[in-house]
Amino acid sequence: MIRVRDLVMRLPSGSRLLTVLDSVSIDVAPGEFVAITGPSGSGKSTLLGLVAGLDQPTAGTITVAGVEITGLAEDALTRFRRETIGYVFQSYHLIPTLTAAENVAVPLELDGIADARPRALALLGEVTLADRAGHYPVQLSGGEQQRVALARAVALGPRVLLADEPTGNLDSTTGAQIIDLLLKFRQERDSTLVLVTHDPALSHHADRVIMLRDGRVVSSGGPEMAPTPPRSQRPGEAVTLLDHRSPPHPPPPPGLGASRGTRDAPR
Amino acid sequence: MMRFAARMAWRETRAAWRQFVGFFACVALGVAALASVGTLGANLQRTLGREAKSLLGGDVEVRSTRPIDHEIESDVSRLQAEGAVVTRVQEMVGMARSAADGRTLLVELKAVDARYPLYGVVDTMPAKPLESLLDDGGVIVEESLLSRLALGIGDRVEIGATAFTIRGIVRREPDRPASVVSLGPRILLSPASFARTGLVRVGSRLRHRVLLRLPESVGARPARDVLAAAASGVAVRVVTFDDAQPGLRRFFAQLTTYLGLVGLVSLLVGGIGVASAVSTFLRRRRNTIAVLKCLGADSRVLLLTYLLQTQVLGLLGSMTGAAMGVAVQPLLVRVLAGIVPFALGSRPEPATILRAVTMGVATTLLCALWPLLGIRDVRPSAILRSDVEPIPRRRPWLVIVPLGAGLAALAVWQAGSLVVGAIFVGACAAALALLAGLAYIVRRAARALRTVRGLEWRYGLANLHRPGGHTAVVIVALGVAMMLLEGVALLERSLSRQLDYEQRREAPSFFFIDLQPDQREAFADIVTRASGSAVQLTPLVRSRLAAVDGVPVTRDMVDRRRGGRHDDRTWYLTRDYVLTSAASPPANNVIVGGRWWTETEAAERPRISVEEDAAASLHVGVGSRLAFDVQGVVIEAEVMSIRRVDWQSFSTNFFVIFSQGALAGAPTTYVATARVPRSSENVLQDNVVAAFPNVTAIPVRDVLERLGAVLDQLALAIRVIALFSIAAGLVVMVGALTASRYQRLYESVILRTVGATRATVARTFAVEYGCLGAAAGLGGSVLAMLLAWIVLRFVLSVRWTFEPAALLLGVALTVLLALGVGFLATFRLLGARPLVVLRQE
Repeated sequence: MIRVRDLVMRLPSGSRLLTVLDSVSIDVAPGEFVAITGPSGSGKSTLLGLVAGLDQPTAGTITVAGVEITGLAEDALTRFRRETIGYVFQSYHLIPTLTAAENVAVPLELDGIADARPRALALLGEVTLADRAGHYPVQLSGGEQQRVALARAVALGPRVLLADEPTGNLDSTTGAQIIDLLLKFRQERDSTLVLVTHDPALSHHADRVIMLRDGRVVSSGGPEMAPTPPRSQRPGEAVTLLDHRSPPHPPPPPGLGASRGTRDAPR
Repeated sequence: MMRFAARMAWRETRAAWRQFVGFFACVALGVAALASVGTLGANLQRTLGREAKSLLGGDVEVRSTRPIDHEIESDVSRLQAEGAVVTRVQEMVGMARSAADGRTLLVELKAVDARYPLYGVVDTMPAKPLESLLDDGGVIVEESLLSRLALGIGDRVEIGATAFTIRGIVRREPDRPASVVSLGPRILLSPASFARTGLVRVGSRLRHRVLLRLPESVGARPARDVLAAAASGVAVRVVTFDDAQPGLRRFFAQLTTYLGLVGLVSLLVGGIGVASAVSTFLRRRRNTIAVLKCLGADSRVLLLTYLLQTQVLGLLGSMTGAAMGVAVQPLLVRVLAGIVPFALGSRPEPATILRAVTMGVATTLLCALWPLLGIRDVRPSAILRSDVEPIPRRRPWLVIVPLGAGLAALAVWQAGSLVVGAIFVGACAAALALLAGLAYIVRRAARALRTVRGLEWRYGLANLHRPGGHTAVVIVALGVAMMLLEGVALLERSLSRQLDYEQRREAPSFFFIDLQPDQREAFADIVTRASGSAVQLTPLVRSRLAAVDGVPVTRDMVDRRRGGRHDDRTWYLTRDYVLTSAASPPANNVIVGGRWWTETEAAERPRISVEEDAAASLHVGVGSRLAFDVQGVVIEAEVMSIRRVDWQSFSTNFFVIFSQGALAGAPTTYVATARVPRSSENVLQDNVVAAFPNVTAIPVRDVLERLGAVLDQLALAIRVIALFSIAAGLVVMVGALTASRYQRLYESVILRTVGATRATVARTFAVEYGCLGAAAGLGGSVLAMLLAWIVLRFVLSVRWTFEPAALLLGVALTVLLALGVGFLATFRLLGARPLVVLRQE
């Protein structure tokens, strides 16, 4: 599904160029769940952004769903993203001037779908936010915003779901809920999931873990390669962590939207 | 795509309408200026069109300074036989004298018969038929005459050699508005009474008019053609109602054109505000645009979204502006009441409103498009990193050139003339370039001074050169507005100085005209006694141009020269010439071609000296020959010199001066000037008129004051429109300061956290606003002086003087304005609690 070859990305840093990715080559099979881990500054988010077609690499090629996106013009790349990719950001990136329902409806409307609003409301229902449909992002907690962002990312049933530290801004309980939803959507829609994370617990649920350091792939293998999470941080202890390899899964626990952590206060 | 764009545009506006208040106000103010001028122009045109027959006094008018030709009279009689109604009017300037106390006043006399007016009505008090008011030695007068001569209805007033009874007041006469400035109040009298005044003598400046109301079977233009063909001299003007009052029409057309250009400046200042507001809005929306691109929205749909948003807001702003323009109309009409010699309505004109709204929407589009095109440059990866470089624009001139051309086209459309529009565009481009250059210098200077002592100065100056700052926008917008306001003030000041009698030491108190040869000695005695100096009398001979270099001046020749254009080019062919003879050139004339004649040359044959503009228009030079018709006698003379005349001087100036002796025997009157102390002016005037009822005394002070009053009203009208520019400039400044509000808030709380007091922060802001105001004021004042110099030097031919006080006042006013508006826009920041702000970071 995803094929990355000899990817190089250099970015300006002051007066010099910093090599963020250096000859990275990876393959992700259709339906596979891959976790990309590594220390801060290792190039994880940059790699994910390039795979999403958000930027052009300095060198190398990226092929997603059979389309070599590194050669596409800006408008073609935009269409490609709309049709193929669902992206979840660490800091949600909801449009502040739109309500929750309108945010979810944006990709549907862009795709010319007539019943965008009912479908957006249904998606909000799936993330247990039907009652918050008319609220603006500023009126939602961090967890709620991320669930809206998740609903927006899967609205068009993308073949590839990319998530950049989706729980990075959330407390562990809320983070676990987001991961449950992410895995549920991935399972229901049979999407390929590539997820950037620092969270070892999350990495353990991936089919494969790719570790980056200093812009290079240093290892790639099964989840056993991921470091064992500290006991106190295991998400499974807070909520039921879904096993993506064992459908069907139970519905999300009630009261997901009610949880509040210190980073999860309304903003 | 359209549905999504429309939805997004609505959602964005719904949530962020506050950010568009300045945008809206800028468009509304600009359109308000245009709509108010447009409505005024339309009302003037409509009134001139609707009242055309009344304004002319008939369907066709024959006008001449000489008695109407027999040939024309016989054609008039024939038309009368076909059913035309004819009335004859005679007009001249003369003196009125109170029979009670001998006070005198310059007046405009009009003799009308029983059939006058053919169209419209003469509004009198008491409201009686004109015939009954004017019969048996009765006159009706304008109200101002009664107050100035301390007379009332029923009192006697002397005109020329005869006393008449004032029977009433004339409030309005349909065909009065021949010119914007009148020399004195009107007196209406019958032809019989007029004949009894004894004012009609050789050389009198009398205007004869024959007015015809035609039957339906006779068209105005065919009748005009018949009458014009019968006219022997080119000086006989025959016009129909629809081409009457060309001077008045031209004056109002020019007035509305120039007011329209002032209005267009308001719209362009508003356009700067639009561009600034859209830039700020998009800077704030950068993240949203990047997210939308991530979600699959391409640049086209986003551009359409924000274009729709700005255009709909531009349309609403334009409509609001149009309503404001209509609302301000009564004020504008009142301001111009003194110079519009007829009742003017303030009805909105749909076509004018539509035009103003179109201008507003088009300007919004052109000014918003450039920043909106920046949407294409936002990379979706901007969402991941804040330091993402925008996509570089390739060949930006591909966009700039059409946008600039569009704005220029709007200017030409508004000006109604390619030349005026081009001058306007050139002037605007130069002004904008100069102000933008000044803004660049200010930013560079602020950067160079960043190590200056004093925290307030350092931080205040730093705000002027911060990245993405507003220095350029504020200096340009405020500078253009100040240029306009100060430019008008400077022009008005210069012209007022020209018209200020007290400052014109060389100006005489009076011009005495129509003095007969036998009155010279007695007249000189009276004037010499009053002024204490010898009076100089200048002989005048009234004539017409008969031939130029042997080519007779005929109607055909005039039409050929005119070449289909209606301009002043042929004025020198058809006008009355007042000739004089002299042995030496007048003191303030400069010979620019040829030389003055010697006594011997003067004795040989008639020689003339011609004024340079007249010579250029008549296509004559040294050696050419001009022939003049003096009461039927043609005198041909050779041009020996070309003179430059200072028409601003208050001496008796001439287009053509003959060599001494060349006009001997011609019917001559005299003109005299006299300067007396103000306290003696009335006495001298009264004494001269009492002794010589036929002599007209033109009081220079009075005439200058009348001109000054007209000028004041014109300046006030321009200022009313220019205020829209100032308002738009201030809105731009508020918008620019609001755009950096959060950054200011954050910096101010950081400063306060590290120990700065509110007063320190306020002083920091004051340094910044003061510098912006000073730069805008300086740029605006320099441009205003430049504007005033160009207009005075090249349009009005009036001397320009450097006015450092005006420059300083302009700068000081702009600084005060900038400080005031700046603090109103940001004073709330000073009250913000640091912890609350920092927690939000």
